Amino acid sequence: MRAVFKREIQSFFYTPAAYVFMGVFLAISGVFFIQGNLLARSGDLTQLIAVMGYLWMLLSPVLTMRLMAGERHQKTDQLLFSSPVSLGGIVGGKFLAASAVLLSTVGCTFLYGVIVAFWGKLYVAEVMVSYLGLILLGLSFLALDLFVSCFAKTQMTAVMMGFGANLLLWLSDLAASAAGEGLLKNILHFISLYQRFEPFTQGLLSFSNVLFNLIFVALMLFLSVRVLDARRWSEA
Amino acid sequence: MVIFEGISKRYGVHKALDEVSFTLEKGQVLGLLGQNGAGKSTAMNIMTGCLAPTKGRVLMGGQDVLLSPRAAKRMIGYLPEAAPLYDEMTVQAYLRFACELKEVEKKHIPAHVEMVADKTGLEDVLQRKIGNLSKGYRQRVGVAQALCGTPDVIILDEPTAGLDPRQASELRQLIQSLRGEHTVIFSSHILSEVQSVCDRVLILHHGKVLCDSALEELKNRENKLRAVIACGEGTLMPALRSLEKISHVEVIRGGEPGTTQVLLTVREDGAERELFTLLSALQAPLLRLQAQERSLEEIFLKTTDEIS
Repeated sequence: MRAVFKREIQSFFYTPAAYVFMGVFLAISGVFFIQGNLLARSGDLTQLIAVMGYLWMLLSPVLTMRLMAGERHQKTDQLLFSSPVSLGGIVGGKFLAASAVLLSTVGCTFLYGVIVAFWGKLYVAEVMVSYLGLILLGLSFLALDLFVSCFAKTQMTAVMMGFGANLLLWLSDLAASAAGEGLLKNILHFISLYQRFEPFTQGLLSFSNVLFNLIFVALMLFLSVRVLDARRWSEA
Repeated sequence: MVIFEGISKRYGVHKALDEVSFTLEKGQVLGLLGQNGAGKSTAMNIMTGCLAPTKGRVLMGGQDVLLSPRAAKRMIGYLPEAAPLYDEMTVQAYLRFACELKEVEKKHIPAHVEMVADKTGLEDVLQRKIGNLSKGYRQRVGVAQALCGTPDVIILDEPTAGLDPRQASELRQLIQSLRGEHTVIFSSHILSEVQSVCDRVLILHHGKVLCDSALEELKNRENKLRAVIACGEGTLMPALRSLEKISHVEVIRGGEPGTTQVLLTVREDGAERELFTLLSALQAPLLRLQAQERSLEEIFLKTTDEIS
């Protein structure tokens, strides 16, 4: 797993993937920070973090597209599959590498907090809880898109499928709002990542929401391993 | 060292491999032959754990590839049909990665990379990006990757495909140098290549084993003799056709006047003695007798044609 993690990290920075991901994320969040905090003279970072949460939906497939689909397309997956590394190690290494890029990106946005703390008042606990929610949401999207990438044969297909999956999840969130009261609303609310994210952005730390995100990530990684294993039995 | 036991692989209704079995001793070089779609790459992918068989099992040094994948895969170095290379990496970084994957101890990695690069002639390109290398060098990097971790079994799927004659020859020499130290399984479309590198041949056809035999044994099977005899065709031919140990007699036209040139297909050992006795009885001097070794290409075409 360590070897896979190390190679993926290097590869992210050898190719434009990490730069595009970080660049677009920081550029858009920067614009919102200038407009919503600096120009509006507001020290409330939670709204900015809520916006950042929506960026994961758009940018996560950029990181995950090459993780599985790229290997499959270039046939480099045969090197991994014929090496003494478990499928769990391969999936885990790749997920951790993408997570490291995501965490580095989030780390860069701490600068906004420093600026606010320097010229205004920063509600540290509230911001930290919001950041925790942001990171958990990002990891959930990465795990989902990594799972989706296991089905794709090319990076382009993987990115389109990733966007599709993320959009469906977001639409389920909208559908929950429109569903009225009842079982359907409860189910849609339960599976909605954004519904789980919202309390974090209000500074509310809920153990069940943290647990939900962690289970979601574990489930997606487990399913990714199962898909790769199943492919060995069926692929021509 | 390698036991391939009753392996079948189905893709829906299509049977890519059908009850394929063979065993391979340590140090042997096995050539896998077959037309496109015969099942060579499928067999190799199953050996390395990249694919799972529908039926049967593969043992590497006694370890089941499906049940004990890590232990079995530690013994394998694999170069698939398309070399699994990351274009954005340098050769050195890639080989280091391969060593890490193959669980080479961290402190030994630099020396190991150097050794593998030296063996495959990559010393001069270690710092170059793989994406910028020529086809020949890329293939060498693929072979070097398969050698990382000094595996007992090296599996090479058409390693010389797309190389120029010089590069192919260098690669063949490299494979020959692995003989003894490693068990090598090697597939190729170029039959002369298999003939020069392998000491055992397995011919696959539509997923079935048509022939599994030592190369020498295969070449000697249905051996042919070319003979020039100072005797007229009319007297000689009926006599030759009566020989028990000769299965077929063919006249070759264009010989010297007063002589008959024939190609004799040997049915079993001792055909030469039977021929000498006959010619002595006929008082027909044997001017030349030459063993005609069959090329692997002839054997391959004949074996696959018989089935088709």
